[in-house]
Amino acid sequence: MADQTYAADKHPPRGGTTGGSPRGGNHGGPLRGGGIGIGWRPAIAGAVGGLPGLRFCEVIAESLSGGDRVPVALPRGVAELRGRGVAVVPHGVRLSLGGAEPLDPVRVTHLAACAAAFEAPLVSEHVAFVRAGGREAGHLLPLPRSRAALDVLSAHVRSVQAELDVPLALEPIAALFDWPDDEYTEGEFLTALLERTGAMLLLDVANVYANAVNRGADPEALFDAIPLDRVAYVHVAGGAEHAADPGVYHDTHTDPVPPAVLALLERLRERLDVAPAVMLERDGRYPPAATLRAELDAIAAAAALPSATLAGAATLPGAAA
Amino acid sequence: MTRELRGASPRVARSGTASPASRDTTSASVHARPDPTADLAARQAELVAALVAGAPDPAGFDRDRLAVARRALVRKRAGEVAAVWPLLAASLGSRWHDTVAAHVNGRAPAGALRDGWQLARDLGRCGELSDAAAVELAEREVTLHHDGRRRRLPAARRCGGGAVVQIGGRVHQLMLH
Repeated sequence: MADQTYAADKHPPRGGTTGGSPRGGNHGGPLRGGGIGIGWRPAIAGAVGGLPGLRFCEVIAESLSGGDRVPVALPRGVAELRGRGVAVVPHGVRLSLGGAEPLDPVRVTHLAACAAAFEAPLVSEHVAFVRAGGREAGHLLPLPRSRAALDVLSAHVRSVQAELDVPLALEPIAALFDWPDDEYTEGEFLTALLERTGAMLLLDVANVYANAVNRGADPEALFDAIPLDRVAYVHVAGGAEHAADPGVYHDTHTDPVPPAVLALLERLRERLDVAPAVMLERDGRYPPAATLRAELDAIAAAAALPSATLAGAATLPGAAA
Repeated sequence: MTRELRGASPRVARSGTASPASRDTTSASVHARPDPTADLAARQAELVAALVAGAPDPAGFDRDRLAVARRALVRKRAGEVAAVWPLLAASLGSRWHDTVAAHVNGRAPAGALRDGWQLARDLGRCGELSDAAAVELAEREVTLHHDGRRRRLPAARRCGGGAVVQIGGRVHQLMLH
């Protein structure tokens, strides 16, 4: 099944977007061939292990022990998936790449050790900061889209890349607020970041949707403003409005994926030249396995990908190519 | 769309959001910190302090949205603490969110284990811990250090009418008469 195992490439050439096609995915990327994935979590290990068509999964790097001198311990369920040829992508959530304070070298080493332990085709982190002034925020916080933030973030990304043998993909977050003095649009900021660092893009369509709703903007406009040929893979997640905050969409990861997010995934798919790798993130209030499978099939249909719930490469009925 | 940005001076991206007048209102201290990275560090610290430690909102931000973010952070924290302290959360039922919100108000997150630990201790001191939650707390106290490392030496805690004892990593619940 070597043809179904994603290649572990070295860094792609930098500055690949200059003069490139406005459509995305011409290179294929480290998860080339695409397919459906899921964020592996212990609470849904059984359901995830029972997905015959799963192509990749993501594991929260900070949830794994080991890294410096002790080997990273792979959860049993992840090791089984890896043995089946399912690619495993370490996903960091606490590096604080956009924090103005120095990176914690222990965290960087740990992320690199996770990539080595998984033989991961790539690693991902966020365009965000999570701590400052000695305090943990407990969540991913937005950066000012300023020259200073771009400089800090780019420098941190480059120093993480130097520790990795595989590409790094960066995920723009869902922000509940913006900084008051942005100098760049989100599209300009992300484009400059990817050009400066050669990093790839982890595009979360639920984040794009959340930001557009909460800023009163058109979600598809961002697709026109960023280099879609840098997309390594795509996140999809659920969310909802909360009774306490009417009119604000929360990217909760604990609610079902709304139809509007699936529709945005369809719009994205239409702009990509090759089949993308698309995964569901669920982080609590886990539904029964059957509900999870139905949600994965809805994502596969929207992205015109083979189902993760069926063995082989059957494309779901109704999936638009 | 993607104009040349590398090497170019940052410029105003959207009219009205970054005019000289609005920049002056963001923070009086901006101009006292000529180093852009130090300035960014200070502003990030002000923002985190406002979101999790009860500090005033930094100037220029949408205060309603900061309040939304603050509530979202508390909801996320309550869910994470509940996952690590299930009996504590179950014993409070529908009061869980408000109890956690009151407890964490102004306290920076210390991780779900320690956040819940402190809450359980505080409730225990007020006599508001259910029997099941008291056992959960006692088991944690005899098996773990506060930072989450496992205790190597035996330990015991009184709990209701009995005690919880840990010897060699095994936990025993004793009923005393």
